[in-house]
Parts: sequence; C-alpha cells; structure tokens
Amino acid sequence: MDLQYSDADRDFRARAREWLKTNVPQHSRPAEGFAAAQFDRDWQRKLYDHGWAGVAWPKEYGGLGLSGLRQVIWYEELARARAPHHINTTYVAMMHAGPTVIARGTDAQKSFHLHRILSGEVLWCQGFSEPNAGSDLAALKTRGVIDGDHIVVTGAKMWTTDAQYADFQELLIRTDPGSERHKGLTWIICDMKTPGIDIKPVRTMLQDEHVSMVFYDDVRIPIANVVGEIGQGWSTALATLSFERGLGFIGDQLELYERVNRAIELAEKTRLEDGRRAIEDDGVAQRLAAIKADCIAIRSMTLGDITETDRTGVPGPKGSMMKLMVTATHKALSEVVSDILGWSFLEFDGDRSAHPWTYDYLWSWVFSISGGTNEIQREITADRVLGLPRAR
Amino acid sequence: MYLAPDGDEVEIADAAGTFLADAMPIDRLHSPGSADTTATVRRLFGDMGWFALAVPECEGGSGLSAVEHALFFREVGRQCGPVDVLAQCLAANAAIDGGLRGEIIAGRRGVALLVADGEAHRLIGSADSDLGLSVELGCARLFSLAAVPAAPRPSLDPANSLRIVETLPAPLESIDSERTWQLGQLGAAAMLVGIAEAALDLIVDYAKIRETFGRKIGSWQAVRHPCADMAVRLEAARSQLWYAAAAVKERRVDAAVHLDVAKHMANVAALANTDANIQLHGGIGVTDEHNAHLLMKHALLLSRLFGAKRMLLGRLLDARVED
Ligand SMILES: Cc1cc2nc3c(=O)[nH]c(=O)nc-3n(C[C@H](O)[C@H](O)[C@H](O)COP(=O)(O)OP(=O)(O)OC[C@H]3O[C@@H](n4cnc5c(N)ncnc54)[C@H](O)[C@@H]3O)c2cc1C
Repeated sequence: MDLQYSDADRDFRARAREWLKTNVPQHSRPAEGFAAAQFDRDWQRKLYDHGWAGVAWPKEYGGLGLSGLRQVIWYEELARARAPHHINTTYVAMMHAGPTVIARGTDAQKSFHLHRILSGEVLWCQGFSEPNAGSDLAALKTRGVIDGDHIVVTGAKMWTTDAQYADFQELLIRTDPGSERHKGLTWIICDMKTPGIDIKPVRTMLQDEHVSMVFYDDVRIPIANVVGEIGQGWSTALATLSFERGLGFIGDQLELYERVNRAIELAEKTRLEDGRRAIEDDGVAQRLAAIKADCIAIRSMTLGDITETDRTGVPGPKGSMMKLMVTATHKALSEVVSDILGWSFLEFDGDRSAHPWTYDYLWSWVFSISGGTNEIQREITADRVLGLPRAR
Repeated sequence: MYLAPDGDEVEIADAAGTFLADAMPIDRLHSPGSADTTATVRRLFGDMGWFALAVPECEGGSGLSAVEHALFFREVGRQCGPVDVLAQCLAANAAIDGGLRGEIIAGRRGVALLVADGEAHRLIGSADSDLGLSVELGCARLFSLAAVPAAPRPSLDPANSLRIVETLPAPLESIDSERTWQLGQLGAAAMLVGIAEAALDLIVDYAKIRETFGRKIGSWQAVRHPCADMAVRLEAARSQLWYAAAAVKERRVDAAVHLDVAKHMANVAALANTDANIQLHGGIGVTDEHNAHLLMKHALLLSRLFGAKRMLLGRLLDARVED
C-alpha cells in the first residue's frame, strides 16, 4: 500500500496545471442550446490540438495511452483550474461511444470515428432507454429489420441526452422479432442525419431541453455500422455501461471536493436571516465539514479503485458503490447550500451559470436517476459485491 | 500508487486475524467479567510481538509501519478487542526508557487508556493494569497507577471496563510528539472499520439463510438496499483508512487531515452498520446471546476516542489536502 506518484506522474501533473493556467476559457459556457454544444466542441478541439485529448485512450487511436491514475490527475487539475465541466455534450462520445468502438468496433469504424470524437468534430448521444425500458433496459422494443445490407429501424427512444446536437448515436435495437429480454438485440451506430429520424425535445424541471424523445420511421442504417455482432448487442451494451460506470463519473467525483470548498467560502460571506454569517451556525458548519470528509474519502475511494483497475486491467463492480456515494454527497451539499442561501436560492430562471447552486440541486436527481438509478446501483451492489440471493 | 493491502501486508493481516480469532474471539464477551485482558492473554500478545509492530527494530520492535498497525487493529476491531490493546501498543511506541518499553512490549505490565473528562479522567481497560497512558494532539504521558485510587463505573461496552480517576501523580514519562496521537487515531479508526465489516458480514450471512414469506430475506429489496448502503459506507471508510495509513507511513504533510477524515468516516460507518445490522436481524438482533449488540456498544465507545464527531468536524472545515 503506498501513495507514491512516479516522477512521470508528477511531471504530468505539473505540465497539466501549467497548461490549464493559461488555456482555460475566459468566458463561461453558454447555459444551453447549440451555443453550449459549440463551446464544448471548441474546448475539445483545443484539448486535442494541444495533446490533452483522451488521456487514457490507447495511443494507436489518438489518445495519450496513459494509466487510469494519470487520468485521475488530469481530472483533478481540470477541477482545480475550474475548467469546463466534463459532463457536457462531448460526454457520451468521449466516455462511452469511443471506448465501446475501441473495444468492439471494426477497423473501418475505428478509423472513421475515433479521431473525429477526440477532436470534437462530432458529438454522440446514447439511444438505449425507451418509454417502457429504462431500468429494465432488456424490455426494449425498437425494431430493426434486416433488408439487404441495411437494417431498417422503427420505434422510439426516450431520454436521449443532447440528441438535437449529436451527429451519431449509440443505438440499441431488437433485430430478432421473436426474441425476448437480452437475446436478439443489436448495437448499431446511427447517423442522426438519416431520413426518418424525428427529435422531440422534452423540457425538464431544470427548465432546459437536455433530453429528447427520438422517433424512428423506417430509418435505414448500413449493417456495416453494427458494433459487435448482430444479435449480440446486449454484450456490447454491457461494455458501454461498464465504461459509463467505471471512468465515466470520475471528473464529477473529484470536482465535488472543489465544490465543497466553494460552499464553505460561500458560508463565510453569506449572512443568515439573524445576521450571523452562515459559517457561524454550528449546524451549517458541521454539515459542511461532514460533506467535506465524504468528498475526501470519495477521492481515496477513486484512487483505490483506479489503481486496482490499472493493476488488474478490468474495472471491478465498485463503480456502482462510488456512484451511490457520490450522488448522496452531491445531494447533501446542494441541500446545505439551499439553507445557506435562504430566499435567494429560489431565484432561478434556468440559467446554469447564473444560478449554479440551484441548478446543481435540480441536477442531483438527474445524477441519481440517469446512468442507472440509485436503486438499480444498490441492486448491482447487493448481487455483485455482497452475493445476496437474487431478487429476480 | 496502490491503495489496498498487498504482499507481506496481506500475510500480516491474515496472521493477525487468525491469532485474534483464537486468542480473543468476540464470543468471549458472552461470559460475565470477560471485558478485561487477562495477564495470560497479555503475555501471549507480547510473545507474538503484536504490541511492537510499529516500534523500530533498534528499540526492540518489528520495525513495521503505520500500515501494518492499521491492519492489525482492523482485526482487533472485528473481535471487539479491548481498548487497552491499543493503549499497550501506543505505550510501546512512546516509552522512552528502554527497560520500561521492554516490559510493555513483552506484556509483562498492562497499560490502560486515560481520557480526560472535565476535571477527572476516565480509565478504560483492565483493572490489573498498573500503567495509564493519556494521549493528546501533541503529547503523550505515561503514569504509574500503582497508588492511584480508581472508582469502578458501570460500562455499557462489555469489551472494556470503565473507572474514574480523580487525580493523577506526576507522569513517569512525557513525550512531545504527534506520533502517539496519530497511531492512536489510526488504531481507533481501524478498529471501527473492523466493526463495520463484522456487522456487514453478520447480516449478509444471515440474509442468505433466513427465510420469510417463502423467500430468503436477502432477496427482499428492503433488506438488500440497506445492506448495499452499509457496503458503500464501509468502502468509503476503508479506502480512507488505507489512504491515511499510507499518509502516516510516508510522513505526508496532510497526514493529520487524512487521519481526521478516516476517523470520522470510520465513526459513521461503524455506528450506521451496527445499527442496520441489529434492525435487519429482527428480534434475534436485540437478544443478549447475539453478537450484534456487542459490536454496537463497542462502536459507541470507540467513536468517542481519538476524535469524536464535534472535534473532528471542527478541525476539518478549514483543512486542505495536498497533491
Ligand atoms: C436527465 C436524464 C438523462 C438521461 N439520458 C439518457 C441517455 O442519454 N440515453 C439513454 O439511453 N437513457 C438516458 N436516460 C434514461 C435513464 O437511464 C433512465 O431514466 C433510468 O435508467 C431509469 O429508467 P426509467 O426512467 O424508465 O425509470 P423506471 O425504470 O420506470 O423506474 C421507476 C422507479 O422504480 C425504481 N425501480 C425500477 N426497477 C427497479 C428494481 N428492479 N428494483 C428497485 N427499484 C426499481 C427506479 O429506481 C425508479 O425509482 C436519462 C435519464 C434522465 C433523467
């Protein structure tokens, strides 16, 4: 057991810190819409041009080919520099579409897609969930009929984050009409400009159009776009989900520590109704300190998990436990800030940059629902970590 | 960087686990008057060298580190080992006089822990201990208890007897360093992590065999989900414990912060897990014959030592971690 960084690790951190100091965008990210997506593409492009894109992606696919630990260092420096948040419109492309294509894609798919993803040229979205298939993903019904060298897709997807900005989609469909559950599914790359696709944004309680319903009416997708094999889509989807639960939230995890310090700064300058500074209230101070302890422990958990994965080469089932810990801490932080800010917490017009704390509070539910609800993460922990008798 | 026990560390942890399950099994606490370490058991620990794990070789110890110290106390915690095992280890690390140190390491003299409580001190540990150790942030003091009257008090925790000492003599030895506090905090956090683990293991085992409504209770989500939450709390506390142990070993500048966090996370995990363990056992969980209450009562005591909630949180607000 040791906490030693190699010289190369330390050098990497120093270079990242130095570069970020002068390159973090001066103006903040637009709250939403195409302007926000363009901002994310530009930032990704800048990272790519300066050799910072895809820290843990293999070198042969344009990444830096570095360890998970180096990836953690990079995220820590991003958080410290208050660089653009990593869960943005490039998230699906960078965090799971790219890694899935690397793991399961054909050579043609790799050479076409990977550098486009890394350079921010294309954005991706994830079309897994349906109106009746969220937690129970294997209940999905969107149909794909094989017709010559194409698959013709008909049906609907629900909750597709950033569908309106995306160039491509990770699409999971049922290609074997009589099949049930995990059998007969196919994972295919869908070009979002294909005729027959209709995107209907769904307004969320965050007052944004973050997610959409996507309808498919005889959408013809080349069979060459299948990732993995026809009928083996569940296995490819599990790979995608493991990327999402493994590395996917690390940036967010590490950023929490910076955020709790910002909340403490806020408590130092904000006056409560009775005129005292919020930090002078024992209840507020204790809750903030306890959350800070959680954030420090989350960082230790992350380092423990990543260095284990670096050693074994395969992510373990701890991703679910970390997501539970992180979502609970995120929620608790939002709640204490709500108490600190009093009435002004309620002034919210949907502008994420103008009202970051209120936005974060609303976001805490997105965080504990999307990518597998907290209840589903508890199920996974009960099965895979504790080995409890199966509920199903 | 690697943040879990590996290599020799695993072997030491396994050896400690086996030894403690044999020498000091938690089941001992079901017989009356079992709280105290007997002279025989103390000698056994001494013969095996457990009190001197982290003492430098040139001072008669094993020359291991804070990491092995933490691994050992996690096993002590799993068996609800008494606090005077910790006091004895700390005294072995702190004692300056070679002769005295040798006797402590060998288990020939017993050490109990002294904790300030207002004007008086609480004495936690065996009645036959003739030494008392009091530890504060920057100093540790060792007292002879030979002529000190100590009034027995009832003790909720069956793993420790409790007495009150009104006045102390001049210390035998006074050590100005943070090290004793750090090892104490690490040991107490490790014991609490051991308790949190033992509580989770108990309920997971039970959930696999107990049936209600024709199903194993471990298949009901109202049981599965609190178990998952126990596992998450434990994982956070254990990760932080390893981080803090390595930080002490490597003399990191932020070691004290990581220790405070480790103790806090361990307090929380042990109290929450021992609580859930009782609840999820149903009626059997509140019986005297079951181990569930032993873990809970021991956690209540340990959570007050080497940093209770208020003190830890007060220090953490402005603390900063490095890297
Ligand atoms: C903002 C947002 C963005 C999203 N982005 C995407 C995206 O880009 N792509 C995509 O494919 N999907 C996306 N999702 C979908 C997300 O994965 C699902 O919403 C989620 O998996 C839950 O599914 P559901 O909404 O159908 O809820 P349901 O499955 O209907 O669940 C309802 C409730 O029942 C609980 N529950 C269900 N089954 C169980 C069980 N077995 N045990 C215990 N409790 C259970 C759930 O936890 C929940 O509380 C997004 C969701 C949100 C909210």
